[in-house]
Amino acid sequence: MNEPALKELLYKMADDQLVLGHRNSEWTGMGPLLEEDIAFSSMAQDKIGHSLALYTLLHQLGESDPDTVGFTRNATQFHNCILVELPNDEYDFSLIRHFLYDTAEAIRFESLTNSSYVPLAQLATKIRGELRYHTMHANIWIKQLGSATPESIDRLQKSLNYALPFALGIFEESNFENELIENGIFEGEVKIKERWLQQIKKILAQTSLELPDVDILHPVLGGRTGKHSEHLQPLLDEMSEVFKIDPTAEW
Amino acid sequence: MKSLDPRVERILQAEPTYIAQPKIPLDQFGTFEVFVEPKEGKPFQHEGIVHAPNLEMAYVLAKEAFTRRFTCTSLSVVETRDVFVSPMTEGDQNSYDTIPTAPDESRERKSFEIYHLIKRGKQHVHVGNVIATSPSNALSIAKTKFNSGKVVYNVWAIQTDKIRYSTQEEKDLWITLPEKKFRDASEYKGGDKLKEFLEKVKP
Repeated sequence: MNEPALKELLYKMADDQLVLGHRNSEWTGMGPLLEEDIAFSSMAQDKIGHSLALYTLLHQLGESDPDTVGFTRNATQFHNCILVELPNDEYDFSLIRHFLYDTAEAIRFESLTNSSYVPLAQLATKIRGELRYHTMHANIWIKQLGSATPESIDRLQKSLNYALPFALGIFEESNFENELIENGIFEGEVKIKERWLQQIKKILAQTSLELPDVDILHPVLGGRTGKHSEHLQPLLDEMSEVFKIDPTAEW
Repeated sequence: MKSLDPRVERILQAEPTYIAQPKIPLDQFGTFEVFVEPKEGKPFQHEGIVHAPNLEMAYVLAKEAFTRRFTCTSLSVVETRDVFVSPMTEGDQNSYDTIPTAPDESRERKSFEIYHLIKRGKQHVHVGNVIATSPSNALSIAKTKFNSGKVVYNVWAIQTDKIRYSTQEEKDLWITLPEKKFRDASEYKGGDKLKEFLEKVKP
């Protein structure tokens, strides 16, 4: 097995989950209605859980323990896509990001249930139900607000237009793409993106929202190789603030 | 300290301005009743309500509002207005004794789910279903079918096809729930940790 290739795959997935989990948790206590606040917070917690599971796999492959890996690296050492680090701003953006990212995430893990790297395939199978809920939640909100009032449609459309180039950055290819595919570890970003696009179109077709032409958009890349926006480092500083007071503390 | 959340920044920066405004009418979602199946084959029990714009959204929101902690195998939701209730009784008065015999109006027959409240302050629990022509007719049939003479304080009848149940493939929504111990405060063993700390710092 090609270990650097596998590690890179695990790192980018884990970092996505950790950073988006933290971002989404910023809505805790501020959600648009109580029920939604609870649901969005729970899903944020699920994402942190997914990152822990992936960092644990990395630890088994010889990397540092999950807390060290999660809380002590700098922005340039993170492999998450830029989409997940963007500030929340208004709820329409957070919902659109939730929809675009979680759809891709569910397709990726579904594909990984067939990975030749058995621990990853087992994890993917285990969290299938959680991801089913995340996409179910995202889809119903997009369908609801994407065809509700002129204001809700307009706001979601603007967020969609803004987020889409970043969302295309989810599928930034790795230098190890071919090795991963040849070894049966991962199907590759191209195929995941293809299925993602189909699914996104299917849901948007049930709303008044329009998908911009993705073929003429420039994907925002760089996240996978540590080139991030100015928003990531402040997020990491806040996230690790308590941990860094006493890294040896047991919680 | 500058907040990382732009909404907090806006609150902090906002100039206090006040112009008297007429009271805005309430614009709230309707309510939906939430039931949980605690174990495979165990009867559904009522857990509470959620606010939502429609049945499907109620289902999605109810999932985290009521089943994020304790293990369960499925969920069902119904709009509050679709729940038909018998009179609430007290002491040793059986609610079934207050339900009149409602005639079979021999219209279209439908399936209704029947729920009992057998202890005040507890939840309504599913007891079975009846085929009836109306909610009143359903309660009256339930009286002959489920009234054992034991005191029931309240009976609910809900038309079966108004209820949104979990589908077979949605049953995997809850498979990782038993592992989410971090949602249980007792799991942190705060008391033990405090005791340990106090021992350690004792002069």
